[in-house]
Amino acid sequence: MTAIHADIDALAGLRAALTRFRYAQREVADQGDDAIEAARASLEAKASHWRARLEQARAELAACRDSSEAAADDPVDCSGYARAVGEAGERLEHIRRWQQRIDQQAIEFHAAATRFASLLQTDLPRAEEQLAAVIASLQAARHVQAPGG
Amino acid sequence: MPPVPARPDRDGDQHLRLLEDAWERVVPSWRDGMARRFGTHQWTPLRDESRSYLEALRAMMDVLDAAERDTEC
Repeated sequence: MTAIHADIDALAGLRAALTRFRYAQREVADQGDDAIEAARASLEAKASHWRARLEQARAELAACRDSSEAAADDPVDCSGYARAVGEAGERLEHIRRWQQRIDQQAIEFHAAATRFASLLQTDLPRAEEQLAAVIASLQAARHVQAPGG
Repeated sequence: MPPVPARPDRDGDQHLRLLEDAWERVVPSWRDGMARRFGTHQWTPLRDESRSYLEALRAMMDVLDAAERDTEC
């Protein structure tokens, strides 16, 4: 195999690898976007769960306190309900903090993702075209050289 | 909808490694001016931008994983 043949084979391999890379990374980018959406949906479902728990706990605490006031001579211990309110509020706040953190991280990620999407859409096809032109010129040179060996 | 892979950034890393391997196979036999221009204006920005994106994706996935673990009911 001549040096020109080696060039062509390696360059053709690189060109094919660039094409595969372009399609594969588009899929990776889609999967990344899907993962962000799925995580946001999951956190929102958890937040919804704890909002409902908080609302219920507050209602139970209020009912307990009403009972306690109604029976002033025999006060009811409402501390368990108060703890439940506190726990639900903390869990909800914890989830909100994660939601904010994901939003912040997503802003940073979006900048890189936008640049990368442009690269996949514009720069990579251009690089593939350039390689195709190089390969074509090498193939033409090979045909010119072939008669002389 | 198909299940989302746990870590798409790892898939992306693997695809970049395959591309880098293809480039490494070209380098020894392609040393003319066109090769240098392609390396400077196409390959290096492509590799660097890909690495930058995959690093950002990795950081994003790390946060998503941590959020999921830390908010389990």
